[in-house]
Amino acid sequence: MAVPAGVADGINTVWALVVAFLIFFMQPGFALLESGQVRAKNVGNVLMKNVTDWTVGVLAYFVLGYGLSSVLASLTSGAAIGTPFAYFGDPGGWVTWLVGAVFAMTAATIVSGAVAERMNFPAYVFVAVVMTAVVYPVATGMTWGGGLLAVNANGPDGYIARVVGAGYLDFAGATVVHMLGGVAGLVGAWFVGPREGRFDASGDSHPIPGHSMLLAVLGTLILAFGWYGFNVGTSAIYGADNTLLSAQLGRVALNTTLGMGAGAVAAMVVSARRQGKPDPLWTANGLLAGLVAVTGAVLHVTWAGGIVLGALGGALVLPTYRFVVDALRVDDVCGVFAVHGMAGAVGTVLIPVFATSGFSATQLAMQVVGVAVIGAWAVVGSGATFWVADLLFGLRVSPEEEEAGLDASEHGVAAYPEFTGGGSPDSQPVSADGGYAGGDGDD
Amino acid sequence: MTDDDIEMVVAYVRPDVLSNVKQAIANAGAPSLTVTKVSGRGSQPVKTEQWRGEEYTVDLHEKAKVECVVADVETQRVVDAIADAAHTGEKGDGKIFVLPVASAVQIRTGKTGPDAV
Repeated sequence: MAVPAGVADGINTVWALVVAFLIFFMQPGFALLESGQVRAKNVGNVLMKNVTDWTVGVLAYFVLGYGLSSVLASLTSGAAIGTPFAYFGDPGGWVTWLVGAVFAMTAATIVSGAVAERMNFPAYVFVAVVMTAVVYPVATGMTWGGGLLAVNANGPDGYIARVVGAGYLDFAGATVVHMLGGVAGLVGAWFVGPREGRFDASGDSHPIPGHSMLLAVLGTLILAFGWYGFNVGTSAIYGADNTLLSAQLGRVALNTTLGMGAGAVAAMVVSARRQGKPDPLWTANGLLAGLVAVTGAVLHVTWAGGIVLGALGGALVLPTYRFVVDALRVDDVCGVFAVHGMAGAVGTVLIPVFATSGFSATQLAMQVVGVAVIGAWAVVGSGATFWVADLLFGLRVSPEEEEAGLDASEHGVAAYPEFTGGGSPDSQPVSADGGYAGGDGDD
Repeated sequence: MTDDDIEMVVAYVRPDVLSNVKQAIANAGAPSLTVTKVSGRGSQPVKTEQWRGEEYTVDLHEKAKVECVVADVETQRVVDAIADAAHTGEKGDGKIFVLPVASAVQIRTGKTGPDAV
């Protein structure tokens, strides 16, 4: 039953704001997840990166990113460019801008988990700015913005969509946001190089345990909470004719939930088979990978499809991580390629197989092409960004700074002053309990 | 051994027997003690842990270090009490050492020697 247009608009706007706040809450989730997986001497640096990519990111996305997305959409579909930066003077569009911004920052913040514990901070800030100002907007321009991969009701279809004969499906950003971030993280981790001690001279990997399983798993659950905004919030409450979208909302909410459940269970089973015991970190990673795998699919697939896609995403986490470490020899600290990259690609490619509208070979072809295009752009865009960052700032801290910990060497702080000392093993401990506080001339 | 002798009993024991050890030392007549969390290596086999399925070994095991300075109680009674309370029969039960103490001062009263203990 239709409601008055004003009521539908009001409810949709309130919903969009609540959703933006929920997705913003994924930022503390990422901060906890990543800081738990690093050593205590690098926790302050990880937190700093997570705070910085959000804060510089929103500025970059407002000044350039949001408008660049429309420009790209026009350029890759042959539509008139029009006035892509008109939003500067249009308060009525700013809620929509905010929702776009929280998605952009999610893509940017994924990268920090891959390059943790050894990347130069100014270089990271540069990467975060370019990710939100250029790399992510190009991906949205090609898809949701109506560009290269999109079919448009008003205006010409994207160049590739015309050739294949279908529009690319990625409902809430499994590839546009997550695979982009996961691939950029993998590329970044390759550029930055492995942490000291991760691989020995013969190339064998050695574990560098993170300092807190508690933070990592709690961060995962906070992320999952925010993810309801990410997936369910991509649907409006009222449709174009002011009728309640109850079936659509129910489908995205159910598939989001089933996907995360299946992902965690699958990862738990795989970890138990591979390692003998069910592993909490793998299970938490699997929960996220299940969410990523269904993020593009939640609106388009049956609930059985949601379970299968989530389970596939979760089951692939451990083998993908091993492949990255053992075959590629890349030190992706938080496994962001396994969690966000692989799960996003697989879940989105397989949408037509479980589609509520039935299987379509044309759609499957479009999904494969779309994932390939976005993946290729992620490699090229983030690769160029890291390459320039290396030229401008240097990607890597010195071996001495890495040994001392980035908290001490990059920020002059200690996240846990009573536990980690001044950072370096042989430095005088900084005491927070009235004891010796270092300084000159005492010995 | 004369009455003036002050000795320190230092015991490295499993953290989970600490409660029994404290009780046993008190029963032996020497209630004052200091406990520190330490880690050390002895005959206890290395422990294997894993992070993301990659194994690493930990050969420093967590122990409780109990220091008990003894003056008017027979040192051997305290040593026996600890040895009995901390015994499980498995590798890693720990060790007990007895050290001479040159002097002692009780800070609150200024008393010195065995009276300080």
